Amino acid sequence: MRADTFGESLLSRKWHKYAAVGRITVSSQLAYLADFFIRTLFLVVIIYIFMQLWKVTYEGVGETTIAGYAYRDLIWYLIFAEAIILASPRVNLTVEEEVKSGAVAYRLTRPLSYIGYHYVAYLGEAALRLAVNLIVGGLLGVLAFGVPSFGWGWGAFAAMLLGALTVNFLLRMALSLCAFWVEETQGLVFVYDKLLFTIGGMMLPLELFPDLLRRVCAWLPFQTVVYFPSKTIVAFDAAQFPQMLLLQWVWVIPLAALVGWIYAKGVKKLNVNGG
Amino acid sequence: MTALTVEGLAKRFVTKHKQEGLAGSMRALLRPQTKEKIAVHPIAFTVQEGESVAFLGPNGAGKSTTIKMLTGILHPSEGYAEVLGLCPWKERQRLAYGIGSVFGQKSQLWYHLPASDSFELMSRIYEMGREDYRRRRSELVERFGIGPYLHMPVRRLSLGERMRCEIAAALLHRPRVVFLDEPTIGLDVIAKQTIREAILEMNREEGTTLFITSHDSGDVEQLCDRAIVINYGRIILDDPVPEMKRKYLTYKRIRLELEEPAEEIELPGVEVLRAGGTALELGVRTEEVRIEEVLGAIVGRFRVKDVTIEDPPMEEVISFIYGKLGKEGG
Amino acid sequence: MLTEANQSRLLPPAERPVLARATALARFVWTCWKLNLAGAMEFRMSFLLTAGMMMVNNTVWMFFWAVYFHRFPIVNGWGLEDVMMMWAVSTTGFGLSATLFGNCYRIAGLVASGQLDVYAAQPKPVLLHVLITRMSVSAIGDVLYGLLLYAIFGEHTLLGACKFIAALLLATAIFVFYNTLVQSLAFYIGNAEGLGLQMFNIVLTFSTYPTDIFRGFSKLLLFTVVPAAFISYLPIGLLRETNGLFLAGALLMALALAAGGTLLFYRGLARYTSGNQIGLRM
Repeated sequence: MRADTFGESLLSRKWHKYAAVGRITVSSQLAYLADFFIRTLFLVVIIYIFMQLWKVTYEGVGETTIAGYAYRDLIWYLIFAEAIILASPRVNLTVEEEVKSGAVAYRLTRPLSYIGYHYVAYLGEAALRLAVNLIVGGLLGVLAFGVPSFGWGWGAFAAMLLGALTVNFLLRMALSLCAFWVEETQGLVFVYDKLLFTIGGMMLPLELFPDLLRRVCAWLPFQTVVYFPSKTIVAFDAAQFPQMLLLQWVWVIPLAALVGWIYAKGVKKLNVNGG
Repeated sequence: MTALTVEGLAKRFVTKHKQEGLAGSMRALLRPQTKEKIAVHPIAFTVQEGESVAFLGPNGAGKSTTIKMLTGILHPSEGYAEVLGLCPWKERQRLAYGIGSVFGQKSQLWYHLPASDSFELMSRIYEMGREDYRRRRSELVERFGIGPYLHMPVRRLSLGERMRCEIAAALLHRPRVVFLDEPTIGLDVIAKQTIREAILEMNREEGTTLFITSHDSGDVEQLCDRAIVINYGRIILDDPVPEMKRKYLTYKRIRLELEEPAEEIELPGVEVLRAGGTALELGVRTEEVRIEEVLGAIVGRFRVKDVTIEDPPMEEVISFIYGKLGKEGG
Repeated sequence: MLTEANQSRLLPPAERPVLARATALARFVWTCWKLNLAGAMEFRMSFLLTAGMMMVNNTVWMFFWAVYFHRFPIVNGWGLEDVMMMWAVSTTGFGLSATLFGNCYRIAGLVASGQLDVYAAQPKPVLLHVLITRMSVSAIGDVLYGLLLYAIFGEHTLLGACKFIAALLLATAIFVFYNTLVQSLAFYIGNAEGLGLQMFNIVLTFSTYPTDIFRGFSKLLLFTVVPAAFISYLPIGLLRETNGLFLAGALLMALALAAGGTLLFYRGLARYTSGNQIGLRM
């Protein structure tokens, strides 16, 4: 090792390493950019349908707000929620493949944490897809309601996204790593996705839930992935925001520990059985 | 009776033509340029019922396209054909009852189910009576020796086993004309032999007309009495197999076993392929020297214990024909 | 050379009595379905899993509507029961189309990869033969789910059951032939697979939302180019009120799609270029 690199802190070198992984993921995924845009067709269709449904609903109820949401806020909420959900990369397919083919063992030989590698790659791809979804979804929203004025909401949304993506990644990873023991993880991840759709708040903001259900959801991590960021941007609340942010990262800690533990057990099993 | 009549049958495909690179793709999107590719030039031949014909040619020569036109899968660009007195693309359904087809690369069997299930379905497709079906099935099971794996899912069979089931399935409804497209491709020697024997038996006993494409000279030699060679979409040769061999077999191999070790031998048109001890192998170009002359010269010089005269393998004949006639015709 | 069995078999089917031909065709279709199911049962575990996954998937929407109607009792005249019956009709209709005629979702792919040869060489109607040769296993879950919804929310009288069956027939026919139509475009344009799938997804999505939340131009679209409304309105127009005009429209749409899809398919088949893949890779 050359002496002059010694001045560069260990942490910063690590940072550069993972940043490089993220960069390369983004640039390799750029090749699919056109594909991402085509896939937003579903986003457009579903938002359009929800616009019609809620318009009729607001007219039927005869009030301007429902559970604190004005019509336009509710639609913006749904746009952000759908955009986040549809942006999630299918990390479980890659991980399952790597575990089954034994490629995970080769990854172990590199001076790069397996989980860390996937985390950064996940963030890179998710960011790109999210950008595409937000451009298309945003365009739809602007066409319907004009340019929104979320003010502080934008910044809070950005701050909340990292935690949301992290929790989403950790939960997915925990399920994907089950591939060490079970034949296929597709079903597990599928059910998890459906939980995000429902009690995560993708289809309806949690305020619309019956009371009991809402109280249950408050104790689960799913709300931190979709509901938190979407709610924050359309109805920024300076008092709630730090609480939500804190709660997100409170979830990150045990989930990260869980993923680390599953991974360590899996690798041990791999070593014992010789992959 | 005539089984196949083909007159001026031709097929052209329209393909999109695109310039290189992204810019080319964009241009192709806006103003697509198409190009005609001729798969089969107008061809003509007839096949009598009971004949077995090899339809030969290099890859892309138009063999499969011709078979697909004769079975009603493809519509020709021009020309006329009759199979068992029916026009394949106009009376496809009626004709289908009388013909059978095996496409070596495309399976008719259901992959996850035992072949017996596919047989059952075939019997329904061809509307066979139950009794007739059962009789015919046991006949084919015996002939192709597929009894042991009739009830195993097709995906677990070896290629040879699967192919035997495949052909048996195609023969279930007693077709009068059978089209076999590469029936032995990728099989080992024993599997090939089993299949050839079963097909030949059927040709002899039931008078089934065979129309076979193959890259395998063994198929041609053992199964066919006539060969049609097609190249660049044109027929370049149509001869009985023995005659084809005679015409294009201008080369023979003489294998000698001598009483004493051979000395040097030099004759015009003859080359020594192998010489060692009492064994001697000679190649003779029969256009330059008659085989009798060579034999006379040998008998005059050596005491011969044993002699065999061989034709070169069919493969060499066919590749010779492609080379020679393909150039003249194309 | 012709044996006796040969002689009778060679009697062209066109010259046989109509009833005999129909029976033979029905036997063939039945055998095909039986084999499909047997094939699915080969992988019992994955069959249960995928069918189960579809049921979980549908539950998501039931959740949505349950929460929705918990708060708002009615949406433009549609109650919870109407929406549930709409789901019953469209999931069962979709499920039947994908189990009994599963290849209607894959025609474009079959055309592009030249896999129609086998069907074209056999003496059965090519389109029918293609359609019934595949069964989507996961869609069995959809059928079960839809029937379950009928059991819970449907009208359990003879008339109610008959109406429900009629609704299913219409929905299935519209799904099958709409797909046949868009997928058959593969004979004419390159890469129709993506387009066909997107078009169908749009129809399916719209067929699971109350018709009456749409107005004006979009409603017009749903009754024409994207014929989802003929499915989504069945619970009102047939099950609840039996609206003659709507029923006539739905029947007409199903027939038009059947005629159009069949025509487009057979026209295309004449241009089919099979699988030599001569210059097909672009």
